[in-house]
Amino acid sequence: MTAASELLTSLGTLKDVTGILGSFVVTDDGRLVAREIPPMFDDTALAEAGGRLTRLRDTFAAVGDRLDVAVVRFRDHKLYLKTIGTGMLCIVAEGAVNMPALRMAANLVGRRIVPALERAAQEPAPPAVIAPAPVAARAPAQAPPGMRRFRGRAVE
Amino acid sequence: MSGGGSRDLGAAAATPEPAVGFHAQLHGASLWDLVQMECLARARLVVEVTGEGGVGHLYFDAGRVVHASTARNRGTAAAFEILGWTHGTYQASNRSWPSAAPTIEMSHESLLLHAAKHRDEQGGSNLVAFPSRGIDASVDAAIEDLEILEIDQDEPGQGGTLTMRNPNADDTPIPPAPPRAENPADFPVMMRLSSSGAVLRNRGGSEELAEATAYTHRLVQLTGELLGLEEFVSLECAFTNERFIVFTEGDGDIVALRPRPDLNLQTLRERLGL
Repeated sequence: MTAASELLTSLGTLKDVTGILGSFVVTDDGRLVAREIPPMFDDTALAEAGGRLTRLRDTFAAVGDRLDVAVVRFRDHKLYLKTIGTGMLCIVAEGAVNMPALRMAANLVGRRIVPALERAAQEPAPPAVIAPAPVAARAPAQAPPGMRRFRGRAVE
Repeated sequence: MSGGGSRDLGAAAATPEPAVGFHAQLHGASLWDLVQMECLARARLVVEVTGEGGVGHLYFDAGRVVHASTARNRGTAAAFEILGWTHGTYQASNRSWPSAAPTIEMSHESLLLHAAKHRDEQGGSNLVAFPSRGIDASVDAAIEDLEILEIDQDEPGQGGTLTMRNPNADDTPIPPAPPRAENPADFPVMMRLSSSGAVLRNRGGSEELAEATAYTHRLVQLTGELLGLEEFVSLECAFTNERFIVFTEGDGDIVALRPRPDLNLQTLRERLGL
């Protein structure tokens, strides 16, 4: 089993928790190595977001704090971040997600994907690791409730 | 909910049927819920509240309570008086708007926080569905500490000197806060930054932490925009032995708190949607 498929399989289990919309994993240098999230989140956006989220971790590291977990609340959604091994697990969820269940699932998945993440982080070609977005991604996707903008543009 | 209907808060009230729209009777609703609903609707209207203390009027505009009046008070003091009533009726009024400038400057969230504090200090009952008290009394107090301070950089002759003032000083008889010696221990670090990153208030935080807070706030805002997640509300970070909370207030200020490691934050989390 490749590192990519291992990561994808593990990320897929997060969707057992009601309210989790998807997840992705970035390496310490902000590179997107796995995604299990609807195609309306394109790879470019996830990679850019991943870069910023690793900078968030680095920002706290600069003032002496080692980030373990962060929960970011947006109006209708939550972004749950967990530092794991050589990267970060990022989970996008609805605002009303069951947080204890999410935390437990994230802990389990975080532990499970450490070896695969280390292998994936050493692989030089990210496109081979990132799961290709389905063709349907090119069509306008139905936005989750309350999600009206995507990359700064209104979602019709 | 900003139409011309009435809301019965528990007492029977004879109100004329509106020509159009809904007529609502909300038995058991709290006045604070109704105030929040009007503010969320960003309605511009005057509401007449009849409670155990008499009749009062609340003036709503653009998501805030901008003025209030009762037989005894006006401005924030009147709002506190009205918000202290526990039952009565609530209905739209044709009362004219005051010609003077708004007498209440704070956000409706701050107004309710201060009203809660005001009522707690007066020993009133806690009948409304407003999260708080218990372990969060210190959280409330800590946030209020940050809220009541404004920095006025436009005072003539000050030459850019920062002067702190209490925005409620004009018309609000807020009694002196009780000693809250436990608060600094509960929140060793409390910072308030303006939306542009200027440090408005800082207790216990380093300059580097203020910079980190401002940058972090910007990073999560950008991340939200990238992912289409809209409006940032709050952030909680868990470090090896510490936690750190950042949230945006209605006026755009950024508040950062570093709680004591063993402090129970559940109610604060619920309030911030975390």
